[in-house]
Amino acid sequence: MTTFIRFKPLLLKPLALALAIAAPFAGAQQDNFRENTLHVVAAGAWNGPVLADGQPDVQGHWSNTIGNHNDFTGTDRQPSRIVDPADGQVPFQDWARAKAEDFAAHLENPIKPEYVEPFARCSPGGPSKSFMWHGYEIRQYTDKVLFIFDSGTRLIHLDDKPALPETVKLWNGDSRGHWEGNTLVVDVNNHNGKARFGRSGEFVSGNATVQERYSFENGGEYLYYQATYTDPSVLTRPFTVGIPSKRITAATEQDGWNNITFPVTFADASHAPDIEAWERTCVENNGNHGDVAVEGS
Amino acid sequence: MNCVRSSLYKCVSLALATLLASSTYADIPRTQSGHPDFSGIWQTLSAADSGLEAHESRPDAPPSPGIVEGGVIPYTAAALEQREQNFNERLVRDPARQCFSLGTPRGIYYPEPFEILQRERDVTVLFQFSHRPRTIHTNDSLHPEGPIGFWFGDSRAKWEGDTLVVDVADFNADTWLDSAGNFHSDQLHVTERWHFIDENTLQYDATLEDAAVYTKPWNLSVQLHRHREPNFQLIENTCYTHDYDQYYPVPSGG
Repeated sequence: MTTFIRFKPLLLKPLALALAIAAPFAGAQQDNFRENTLHVVAAGAWNGPVLADGQPDVQGHWSNTIGNHNDFTGTDRQPSRIVDPADGQVPFQDWARAKAEDFAAHLENPIKPEYVEPFARCSPGGPSKSFMWHGYEIRQYTDKVLFIFDSGTRLIHLDDKPALPETVKLWNGDSRGHWEGNTLVVDVNNHNGKARFGRSGEFVSGNATVQERYSFENGGEYLYYQATYTDPSVLTRPFTVGIPSKRITAATEQDGWNNITFPVTFADASHAPDIEAWERTCVENNGNHGDVAVEGS
Repeated sequence: MNCVRSSLYKCVSLALATLLASSTYADIPRTQSGHPDFSGIWQTLSAADSGLEAHESRPDAPPSPGIVEGGVIPYTAAALEQREQNFNERLVRDPARQCFSLGTPRGIYYPEPFEILQRERDVTVLFQFSHRPRTIHTNDSLHPEGPIGFWFGDSRAKWEGDTLVVDVADFNADTWLDSAGNFHSDQLHVTERWHFIDENTLQYDATLEDAAVYTKPWNLSVQLHRHREPNFQLIENTCYTHDYDQYYPVPSGG
């Protein structure tokens, strides 16, 4: 596959671009935002700014610092995204491991439609995968936390609203959360069981329950995301994902990939520098599988 | 108020206007900084999306009295032909049928709810349809240098009293204005005006300018109603996955 990519950040074809950059990366990646160790933030007290309703104020732009969506458990450039169990692998039942391996084996030769990664068709990534993808934005409101990803949007409800009926199945599930000190704890239910964790094929079923724990560093620079998946129909035991993210500010050097934001233009030129993310679309721009490679060749 | 010295009609009218003004502007929700707080889940009761101009029912849409001021969109002759072609091919070519971002203003009167999430620096409009956010910046920022070609346009707004006035520019030409083939070019410029009628009703007015398609600017108006059902929430509607959902059954085999 060619890697001659005409990168036009203002006319993103994000998923198509992702397809063109097959693992391993072609070396064009800049590493100024990337790390090869887990920056873990412990759960604890929050001493930083708070919003009117008492939530820690963690709004802004963030991006993961390790890994990417190509490979969920690979360790060539960073630790596995699975931090428990210790071997960094999904504790699959045998039949489920075979299904994941079959998917991975056909990724580059998708002889059936189900071998095309749903993410490449612009599906939402599911709870954890969205944090292994491009940068994202957090906005907060009374009783709500909004995540805006490159592919999908999640609104976390912090009030006592009852969960949706379990018959309602969603790509990103349905989220109910609360704050414990510096940590946003989110229970995610109503999965449709269609998303894959990576192009390496790992999955859980629609019976999975997920508890996410977002621990924010008091200095405001790092977020450590953990998600524990429980799914007796696919797994032999629960497993936990760990993904570090780092804050993107107006001072962050852009790498054109993980942390794409744009400087804000103010009428008052003396206004403090600020950044914003622009509209993110995917399905509207998505072409055929391998489209960019064809265009670029 | 002394109603004896004045005409009864004038007196009652004045009293009513005073009452309306106080109830309209005193009882609406406000943010900490005093601006109207539009937070909530909203939806039109109109059938505007079935056709902006007045129309009778057809197999794919209900009738509507229309929401265009003056009744007719002032297309150029060439654009009117294009609209007719769009209408004839609507069941295939309407971008909403592919679950694409609805654009502005269509997202506002599409028949699915949207949630407004409001901060001092911006107003986020999160649409249930396609589950897409649109950001209206209220931080004295300017449009970025274009052309860029956003699906929702680029939205920069100011408060004029209790009305949010939004300047929306830099569109692409890929969205429609309704399911009846009404359209615009990438030269579209929209000015929106949002204000409360009462605490549970918003008045939404938009002026559309597009010299490539319209002979003059034109206006549309629609009212938006607050969802007050207990525990109502948006449900992720990623309808663009419907075509391929079938290929990804929940894995089983254990």
